[in-house]
Amino acid sequence: MEFLYIGGVALGLGLVVLGAGLGIGRLAAGLAEGVSRQPGATAQITGAVNLPLFLLEGVAILAEVFILLVVLMRE
Amino acid sequence: MLQHAAQEHAPAPVSEGFDAGRVIIEHVSNTSVDHPLIHLPKVLGIDLSVTKHVLMLWIVAAVLATIAILTVRRFLRQERLVPTGFMNALEAVVLYVRDTIVEPNLGRKWTASWTPFVLTLFLFILFANAVGLIPVFEVIGLIDRLVLHTAPDSFLNRMLHGGTTATANYNVTAGLAVITFLAIIAAGTVAHGFVQHWKNLVPHGLAWPIYILLIPIEIIGMLVRPFALTMRLAANMTGGHIAILAMLSFVFLFAEMAGHAIVGIGVGLAVSVPLAVAITTLEIIVVLVQAYVFALLSAVFIGMAIHAHH
Repeated sequence: MEFLYIGGVALGLGLVVLGAGLGIGRLAAGLAEGVSRQPGATAQITGAVNLPLFLLEGVAILAEVFILLVVLMRE
Repeated sequence: MLQHAAQEHAPAPVSEGFDAGRVIIEHVSNTSVDHPLIHLPKVLGIDLSVTKHVLMLWIVAAVLATIAILTVRRFLRQERLVPTGFMNALEAVVLYVRDTIVEPNLGRKWTASWTPFVLTLFLFILFANAVGLIPVFEVIGLIDRLVLHTAPDSFLNRMLHGGTTATANYNVTAGLAVITFLAIIAAGTVAHGFVQHWKNLVPHGLAWPIYILLIPIEIIGMLVRPFALTMRLAANMTGGHIAILAMLSFVFLFAEMAGHAIVGIGVGLAVSVPLAVAITTLEIIVVLVQAYVFALLSAVFIGMAIHAHH
């Protein structure tokens, strides 16, 4: 049971990282593409990418906090 | 949460070897409320005793206020309008916050009234985050062990326990998020009037069954935003410190496993210290980014309350 518990927590953490990584990767790809097409609009594109990036990061961090809660509130 | 964990783990006997979890939790969590640094009386049932994180908040606030007030006063006293020396650094920060965080989100009309608020949030969070990366208390502890030899229950020795980053405490960030929450309501009220601000939360002119669905969603959304701000800042600051300490605890874990101190030192030199240095470098970026994010999201939410085009 110990193995299943730790394994489940680790798997959840991995899934969070996977999802967040895919999301941030897409954003970074969009940013690079946009900047390479319109170098003049770099500041605007960065500003537009930043907000969803931070919201995404917030969701990922929330999931990690809940994973930590699952570990700490075991008893 | 972490505080509870620290208290649960605290009575564990020390002699049974190196417990990485206990050491790490002890280094990131606040000091116990039962043994505060400074005892203060209860006011209206609230214990006002000063723990480590409260002390760090005081230090950060004092340092920040001193720097800002002295610099601005010196600028006002001098003859010319061009800043000199440290004023340039402060001016760069102020202009950055005003031009890239506040103005694009709030518009020119409201920039002057909300820049001080966002700037205060930014600088306070930045300083509170950054203080956690400076190993002041570790150096004090080293001096204490080698030179001063104070008693275990002296103020200096009790100050060495607990985490240094006040913003890694969920209560601190919740307090900051509540300030932002109130600022959002205040901004909407000032711009549209109190009743109109609440009406602006949902778009008007829809069929009535949609409102049954929409009003609860908007209320939840209103409350989730400060909650996400709280969790994002605290979890980011805690997470980085846990990662650094986990890397460094390899030294003791391997030394204990092999039974030789030299194995631990070898693992430390080969793996732990390079990785810890790399994560610390990452932490410097995280410290800056998280202060920026908190300020930016506050500005965005305030801007949404002001420019509610429904």
